[in-house]
Amino acid sequence: MNFPAELKYTKDHEWFKDLGNDTALVGITDFAQSELGDLVFINLPQVGDEVIADESFCDVESVKAVSDVMSPCTGVIEEVNTELEDEPQLLNEDPYGAWIARIRDISACGELMSADEYEAFVQK
Amino acid sequence: MSDLKRTQLYGVHVAAGATMVDFGGWEMPIKYPTDIVAEHLYTRHACSLFDVSHMGRILVEGPETVPFLQHVLSSNVMALDLNQAQYAIIPNENGGAVDDAYLYRFEEDRYLLVVNAANTDKDLEHLREQIKSYDAKMTVITGDWAAIAVQGPRAKDILQVLSGGQAVTEPVKNALNTLRFEGRTVRVAKTGYTGEPIGYEVYIESAEAAWLWNRLIELGAKPAGLGARDTCRLEACLPLYGHEMGTDPEGKEIPVFAVPLAKFAVSFSPQKGDFIGREALAKQYEVFRRIMNRDFSDLTDLPRRILPITLLDKGVMRAGMPVYKGDKRIGYVTSGTMVPYYRHEGEGLGTVILEETAKRSIGLAILDSDTLEDDQVQIDVRGRRLKAVIPPYHMRVDAPPFARPILYRPVEEDAAPASGDRKPKALDLIGRAVENHVWRQEKCVNLIPSEMTPSRAVRLLCASDPSFRYAEHKKVKSFYDADVFYYQGTEFIDEVERLLVEEMKAFMGCAEVETRCVSGQMSNTCVFSALMDWKNRLNRKQDPRRLGYIMNNHIIKGGHLSAQPMGALHDYIAIDPVTERHALVNFPVLKDNIYKIDVEETKKAIDRYRPEFIIFGKSMVLHREPVAAIREYVDEMGLETTIMYDMAHVLGLTGDHFQKPFQEGAEIVTGSTHKTFFGPQRGIVGVNYKKGELKYGLWETIESRAFPGSVSNHHLGTQLGLLMAAYEMNQFKDAYQAAVVSNAKSFARSLKAAGLDVAGDPAIDYTETHQVIVNVGYGTGPEVAMRLERNNIICNYQATPEEEGFTASGALRMGVNEMTRFGFGPAGFDRLAQIMADCILRGKEVREDVEALRAGYTEMRYCFGEDDVVSALNDLAKKSGI
Repeated sequence: MNFPAELKYTKDHEWFKDLGNDTALVGITDFAQSELGDLVFINLPQVGDEVIADESFCDVESVKAVSDVMSPCTGVIEEVNTELEDEPQLLNEDPYGAWIARIRDISACGELMSADEYEAFVQK
Repeated sequence: MSDLKRTQLYGVHVAAGATMVDFGGWEMPIKYPTDIVAEHLYTRHACSLFDVSHMGRILVEGPETVPFLQHVLSSNVMALDLNQAQYAIIPNENGGAVDDAYLYRFEEDRYLLVVNAANTDKDLEHLREQIKSYDAKMTVITGDWAAIAVQGPRAKDILQVLSGGQAVTEPVKNALNTLRFEGRTVRVAKTGYTGEPIGYEVYIESAEAAWLWNRLIELGAKPAGLGARDTCRLEACLPLYGHEMGTDPEGKEIPVFAVPLAKFAVSFSPQKGDFIGREALAKQYEVFRRIMNRDFSDLTDLPRRILPITLLDKGVMRAGMPVYKGDKRIGYVTSGTMVPYYRHEGEGLGTVILEETAKRSIGLAILDSDTLEDDQVQIDVRGRRLKAVIPPYHMRVDAPPFARPILYRPVEEDAAPASGDRKPKALDLIGRAVENHVWRQEKCVNLIPSEMTPSRAVRLLCASDPSFRYAEHKKVKSFYDADVFYYQGTEFIDEVERLLVEEMKAFMGCAEVETRCVSGQMSNTCVFSALMDWKNRLNRKQDPRRLGYIMNNHIIKGGHLSAQPMGALHDYIAIDPVTERHALVNFPVLKDNIYKIDVEETKKAIDRYRPEFIIFGKSMVLHREPVAAIREYVDEMGLETTIMYDMAHVLGLTGDHFQKPFQEGAEIVTGSTHKTFFGPQRGIVGVNYKKGELKYGLWETIESRAFPGSVSNHHLGTQLGLLMAAYEMNQFKDAYQAAVVSNAKSFARSLKAAGLDVAGDPAIDYTETHQVIVNVGYGTGPEVAMRLERNNIICNYQATPEEEGFTASGALRMGVNEMTRFGFGPAGFDRLAQIMADCILRGKEVREDVEALRAGYTEMRYCFGEDDVVSALNDLAKKSGI
């Protein structure tokens, strides 16, 4: 299991990469993809959507079930990774490379953990 | 999860890193580290193992086993022969399902009922209540025997390693067998829940379960969990209890006939009698019949049915999502997910399965019964209305060994009608016909055993004037059975037909011949129709009774298509009221030579079924048929059986070098005139009934079923050509027939020596006919035959008696007849065998070698080639302008 040190993590298993200027990339963690299993579909948000910290902004589906992806922060969707629409398995293959959305105008964040804290959290 | 039950293979799953979940009270693998998508795909292109030991296994035995099962199951248990399985519903009184089940008959007097794991206790409670009234008992053996499903195109190859090469089961769905795998007893069923056309379920004693599982993995199978089992069964549209059976998302009981499989699983046979739920099911069936006729006036007893559904928009459908047509809610998704598949390209037999994969969201839905195929609907996917459609199915298995995903294709608009100047098209057609003629006649070696190039004389006569004419005629009793013709200008063809009849009587060695049928298949239809008419001749005031029992060669054992219920027997064979199947019994074949009828077993089958009609003859034929032995036995038993031999392939071999069916006691012989015989494409019927005998009436019926029963114009040109062919055959048959049989044996030996796997008995040089069969590897027949075609060797791929159908063919069927006529002898066939081995075994391009070989054999033998004949033919060609 991989926990890159430069990222922040939520208790709902999203990662948050601060790009400065109130923007960030978000995605799901290695632990999340491994628990979900083969991802076969992603319902991406729209550019311009307002998202709220700890609320669902996207959903991913495995063969067996659908799961909400919660936003780590409050802000506006600036860009979505449309590559995932045709290849949702990228979330399994490269969870930290396969970002879901870039969020701008971040006004607030939910509770975020460091890599060490998150690693301890998932091992509980 | 300590309360959960574990199967015999629990430890194996955990060791393999499976994700274990609670499934119906059992701790089962949902997936392995490979994950569901890869497991699904591996099932479809190779072979997966599924632990199905959690399924409830109930052994039923005792004197009243069958009446008990008839009472508690929807199916007709009387139809279940030894070593067969059947799908059944355990219905309740309301016409709903307590469960669905599979019934196996591995032993004469004991039946194995396999039910869903989660329902086992409920089922047992229900069955125990019912069995009280019967002298029968149930034993739960779930813990004693493990069950492993081995599913996918490689399954058969893998299991045959364990059986030491022995056929695992007959190559048909629901066949069973008990055999040994490397010393352990196993019971194998050709059944499964993945939809795979090549799928087995193997039962083995618990102690050996892990051994078998690990051995199968060593041989290339991979484990798959319940997740892939679910996506596979969904793609195959197989129902799952709790989704498509039981109660619907609104909590209403789903009627059994809502499930498409019900029509196979429910029997209303009077022999079966009353059973639980019969009355309710009969009402559902009535509605089902009306729905099939698109009468939706009263759907009370079957308001909704389970149909496949495909999402057209992007997204995933899930069980419970509502389905709408316009504003109307018409039902719910009962099962749905995203299912992976291999992409394919190319058309028809040339379809290639690619390595590239894709996914589609498909499901099953319970929808208002007036919903039709191709209906555009919407699914409410968490608040979004997504476009969906009702496809005919999600997958097909009629081109084994692969299950083929069927992607929804919208109904196509009709192409614009043909238009424009036709002259260039006419010229092009002529040019291409020349090209084809030269290729087939001069460049190719033709090994299709059912084909023959006729002599120039036959071809010219076929095209000369009586062609395009009519010559209907019928015997009239008032004129002492003189033939009366309905048209003028027929004097010549009248004479030709009488001469043809005489020549064919002499050739076949029989009393009467009918020459008007224009194909072998029509000859058979004509005989079957006549037999049925003859059977009913004394009572014309009721619906005529069909024929049964009939004994024939099974199609997968080489039997003729035209002697099957799907062929010419279609409208003439009865349904056995007890089994509700065609009143058909197949010749048993020898265990050590599946190409040969087992005479002793055939006698037992004759005892048991007392067939009224026996049809000898095959299209994959290496041996003489045991006509004399069976005639003797039928006479000894005093049976009224009619014995016919369909000599389609071997008509031209009738005689000393093969067999003489009429001398051996056949009453009727049919045949094609263009396979080993020298004629154009027609059919023939000969009988050995003589005037004054009772069955001479059957002969007269055959004549009337030829005309007016089958033909009005009987292709007079080819009838004329056939007379010439009959002259040629009667003149040259001794040399020709001897050459054909010895060439076939010689060709078989050469092929074997060249390294190819020749089928048949080496002790007789593999064949007694014109045919040679070569095994090229399971499922590879079509590819090899196409490769040979590219190299100018024309033969046909053929499923052997152990294979599932033509797309799974692993053999080539070849005939030496046409090339023998062009002068091929042992040397020519030996060279051909070398060339074929180069092409088949070493992938060499051999087209030039084939053309060079063919160029040495251009002159037709066994026909009249003298100068005066050639000059007469030149005159015919000139004056007829051909």
